[in-house]
Amino acid sequence: MVCVGPVLWGQTDEVRHFEERVRPILATKCQICHGDQVQTSGLSLASREELLKGGMRGPAVVPGSPDASLLLAALEGSGPLQMPPTGPLQPEEIEAFRTWVRNGAVWGKAPRVPAAAAALWSVKPIERQNPPEVNKLEWVRNPIDNFVLAGLEAEGIDPSPEADRRTLIRRASLDLTGLLPDPTEVRAFLADNQPDAYGRLIERLLESPHYGERWGRHWLDIARYADTNGYSIDGARSIWRYRDWVINALNENMPFNEFVIEQVAGDLLPDATDSQRIATGFHRNTMINQEGGIDFEQYRVEAVVDRVRTTGAAFLGLTLACARCHDHKFDPISQKEFYQVFAFFNNVDELGGNLEESVGRSRMMEPILEFGDPEVMAKRDSLRERIDQLESEQDALQANLEANWGQQFPPGDDESIERAREIIAIPRDERSSIQNSVLRRILSDQVAEFKEKNSEIGAIQRSIPNIEWTMVMRDLIEPRDSFIHVQGDFTRRGEDVEPGTLAVLPPFPDTAPRNRLGLAHWLVSDSQPLTPRVTMNRVWQRYFGLGIVETENDFGSQGTPPSHPALLDWLASELVRRDWNLKDMHRLILNSATYRQASDYRADAAQVDPSNRLLARQNRLRLEAEVIRDAALSASGLLAAKVGGPSVYPPQPAGAGQFTQVDRKWKADEGPDRYRRGMYTFFSRSAAHPGLVLFDAPIAQESVTRRNRSNTPLQALTLLNDESQTEFATALAQRVRDSAANRSERIQTAFEICLARPPTEAEHSRLDRFIARMEDEFATDPETIARAGADSASDAAWTAAARVMINLDEFVTRQ
Amino acid sequence: MDLNRTLLAQRTRRQLFEDCGVGVGKVALTSLLVGDSLYSKPAADARGIHHQPRAKSIIYLFMAGAPSQFELFEPKTELQKLSGKTLPPSMLDGKRFAFMESFARKPPKLLGTVRKFAQHGQSGQWVSECLPHTAQIVDDVTFVRTVHTENFNHAPAKIFMNTGTPFFGRPSMGSWVSYGIGSEAKDMPSFVVLQSGPRGPRGGAMNWTSGFLPTAHQGVPFLSGGAPILNMSSPEGFESERQTVTIDAILDLNRMNMEKTGDPEILTRIGAYEMAHRMQTSGPELIDFSTENQETLDLYGAKPGEKSFANNCLLARRLVERGVRFVQLYHSSWDHHGGPGESLTKDLDEVCLSADQPCKALIMDLKQRGMLEDTLVVWGGEFGRTPMGEVRDTVGRNHHIDAFTMWFAGGGTKPGQNIGETDEIGFSAVKDPVHVHDVQATILHLLGIDHKQLTFRFRGRDFRLTDVGGNLIERLLA
Repeated sequence: MVCVGPVLWGQTDEVRHFEERVRPILATKCQICHGDQVQTSGLSLASREELLKGGMRGPAVVPGSPDASLLLAALEGSGPLQMPPTGPLQPEEIEAFRTWVRNGAVWGKAPRVPAAAAALWSVKPIERQNPPEVNKLEWVRNPIDNFVLAGLEAEGIDPSPEADRRTLIRRASLDLTGLLPDPTEVRAFLADNQPDAYGRLIERLLESPHYGERWGRHWLDIARYADTNGYSIDGARSIWRYRDWVINALNENMPFNEFVIEQVAGDLLPDATDSQRIATGFHRNTMINQEGGIDFEQYRVEAVVDRVRTTGAAFLGLTLACARCHDHKFDPISQKEFYQVFAFFNNVDELGGNLEESVGRSRMMEPILEFGDPEVMAKRDSLRERIDQLESEQDALQANLEANWGQQFPPGDDESIERAREIIAIPRDERSSIQNSVLRRILSDQVAEFKEKNSEIGAIQRSIPNIEWTMVMRDLIEPRDSFIHVQGDFTRRGEDVEPGTLAVLPPFPDTAPRNRLGLAHWLVSDSQPLTPRVTMNRVWQRYFGLGIVETENDFGSQGTPPSHPALLDWLASELVRRDWNLKDMHRLILNSATYRQASDYRADAAQVDPSNRLLARQNRLRLEAEVIRDAALSASGLLAAKVGGPSVYPPQPAGAGQFTQVDRKWKADEGPDRYRRGMYTFFSRSAAHPGLVLFDAPIAQESVTRRNRSNTPLQALTLLNDESQTEFATALAQRVRDSAANRSERIQTAFEICLARPPTEAEHSRLDRFIARMEDEFATDPETIARAGADSASDAAWTAAARVMINLDEFVTRQ
Repeated sequence: MDLNRTLLAQRTRRQLFEDCGVGVGKVALTSLLVGDSLYSKPAADARGIHHQPRAKSIIYLFMAGAPSQFELFEPKTELQKLSGKTLPPSMLDGKRFAFMESFARKPPKLLGTVRKFAQHGQSGQWVSECLPHTAQIVDDVTFVRTVHTENFNHAPAKIFMNTGTPFFGRPSMGSWVSYGIGSEAKDMPSFVVLQSGPRGPRGGAMNWTSGFLPTAHQGVPFLSGGAPILNMSSPEGFESERQTVTIDAILDLNRMNMEKTGDPEILTRIGAYEMAHRMQTSGPELIDFSTENQETLDLYGAKPGEKSFANNCLLARRLVERGVRFVQLYHSSWDHHGGPGESLTKDLDEVCLSADQPCKALIMDLKQRGMLEDTLVVWGGEFGRTPMGEVRDTVGRNHHIDAFTMWFAGGGTKPGQNIGETDEIGFSAVKDPVHVHDVQATILHLLGIDHKQLTFRFRGRDFRLTDVGGNLIERLLA
């Protein structure tokens, strides 16, 4: 019963039938047109009374008589109507309506559909319950297990036994650091006979600097972090310091509430530090359109909308952006409220409004924070002044040339001279920027002095020292007007709005400033039920594949109810109680018996709970794109473990950049940067590294709270044939060969490095047979040995074996 | 089979069907269940999912940059007469254009074309001298002259044409089709993207993203010239037999772990490796044009090994022959503002020269092979160009969203027609306007899909390609 939530306890079969089979369809398929907000043909299906009253065609339902009910006729298409207009329901859905009407069209407890504010579980205060009583007490390691076991016991399912130690150390290492445990670490853990061996393992991993990388990458999905601007040109930007800020904040175990406040409003904190400003890169990860001829205001508005959408997804688990054009169809979010939240983000001093093309182009990345030596910055400023001076000289020259154009260049048939004449004829302040640039080009072609100035300016521009920078938030002193965009169209000004939050959530305190800082505090205030619920749900999701709420990005009425509501609230309350200490929460989950279960498939449990929502076992999870690379890097011994810094360029297949407007040069790094973790790979939104995208890394167009986990032939081609993979395999083979002299021991080592376990007898003999076969292959065709990058047939055969190992399903899976 | 196995098999297939992108229809499921190897059978048969399809595949010729209808397809006597006259400012009220300032400061002047037009074929279609080859296939083609869109910048308009919304993160048409009816290709992805011309499409991967649909449905870019698929070639020293032996070892070891853990996902991975192996063999064969006779190569103007639109058109036919569902060719650049490289004279000539003959060849070749009947060919850009001139180095035309021309052939369309009519200067539709959502709805319809029923639940809402719009272009249907 746990999986359907408490709302159905103790209800009649009729009510259950309505709640489970009918209400969801009413809410999703019917109410858009026949609900609280819109009543097409005068009909609302939001309550039983309204249903009986009906619309223009009369009562929609005659309780007890499906055949006399217009609703059924419309659903079945047997009368003049066919509903819903999006296409008929499935036969079994129609049958559910028939049954419901036949049994009296009984309505559930919540009188109205949709389950608006009053019924929406997720906005209610967090209710901390005591861990439930369970029978199998010896299984329980901490309160998490009480909640999970209670669910299992209610269905008569046993939990799975604890995974063996080898699996546990590989699992925990991958989950916490994204790297494989070294065989020496595995051996030490196996040899540790203390009862707290596992607990200490977890402590060690939580202290690893790679913890921040692993969990930072999860956060960067949500933050839609990328190294380019998106849209058409997709030029490079500099914001990797934000990425490093996330890694460091997690490594230092910054309390999650501070983590939120600094990212949303670090620049507004009193005496904000550089670090706090860098954190605000969070909301500068929006895309920037560098295409010529755009309306700057339009894309500024898009960026602001994206900030609202991301705020909804990252903290509130609400689909705020649904209310951009109209009131939310299902959840209690009005269009006005959308623009109230919009107003918080509407004052950033960034490119927008109605600007000259050339002015706009020079402001694309602002606001930024620079990191330069004061001397160098001073030099830069003086060079800029020199350019200004030269430009004004050039302007004077141009005015002179224009005044004398007719004399100097009498009318003729030189196309460009005539073109210049036409433009000069236009008063200066009426020329477009394109006309200006055309004219300047002609002047430069025709007049040596003008051209010289150009080259002088160009030379100085090239000598301007490069000063490092990162994108940050900074507000305008005079806030912009915020107003409702009628139907989401920013050119149609509706009612004015002030910054504000949603009525359905705890009120915005009167004393708080109505700016991003106020919003940030509100997001993590003690009375805020959503942020801790959404946060803990996502932490849980990373460990078990799915969250307690499966729709991790939708805690609204269209989302799925939590599988373990009491557990979610317990975790959420625990997070707040422990002062938002994330590492504490990791510790709790990792030490639970629930997490430590074996992941082997169980037919008995699957019969009752096919998708393992009750967690009768752990889930096997394919590793994320970056971690697949990281695992191979750590197995090969090539990993450059440096944390942070500018993004890097590992090899990528030739031609990968061809499919976007600007084919960016990609010169693969040599040396350590070639072997950095996947999360440091330079990430272009329009042409991301194929090795990342093919394994479901999001392309950072918008906030992503859960990745797909696909399994495709193109992934197989990458793992088999990619240049990096071959490099990793070669290094892994070397490492294995160095470790032992005989084949059998080497096979043993290969398994221990890659899978943290020895091979079974069958596996051993299969790999042994493979190596023998490959040795023969190479020996009979010695020319191929060098091509395979080896010195002998045996060495080449070991590279082949290493390729096999890093292609195994188990290698790319956390078991 | 014991119960454990049965459950496992069922679960695997369901999972495959959910995660791996082989279709949502009941048909897809059935055919999977009879398949002996998970990847070896087509996922959906040719019956479509909502009704009898007219087309099995689509070749979408995306003319990136937005071709000028006034130089190619739309002769307008009135516009010729008024050329050089200022457009009445009232016509610009409430309109937004790219490079708005160039129009806002000084009302733009109308621009007639210097290109000669003639009527062609039995159907008497107007095509300009720029496209002499296209002029020869007009009886197999239907022109829709009143397509209109909502975005006037390239990248957002391309994303709109492909995903039905200007918002990011939504799936592209090819992904929807792949998700809806799966693939008939046993060793190729179901959605392939090709590119030619001086630059790739603006927005890149955002144009063929699977958005919130399973990632397996994303478009797969094929490279021109060498190996079409990234990482298709085995590493040096590990080719052919050695690769086969390697994959055998991987799969055997995976099967052993399957026995141990019982995770059906491992079967899916085994299937993926089997297919990857087949792709490695079939890839070189796909691009080996030596199996084409000289006549065909000449028809397209294809030269083996070259990166060209001609080669891509031929490749598209070969992909469709192999069961690929959706082939999208981007060809650039049609962006003729009048600046350097963007003139309506020699730069337009150049792109026409590269695009014209292969288009004709594709239609003729498909036709003579009996493939045109069930292959839909679509030609068009992300928007059109203004009847007003835009003055840069030369006089070009700006982006225009109110009316532009696309053409359709084969795949259950009724050929030789003209659909839609624009006003005297070609500014807006006066008869039969066709929205981008209508184009999308019609394409899906021809593939056997009801655009209103092909939905995916994400963040609490059922999304579809055509958002909340889309009407069939009834007259286009045969």
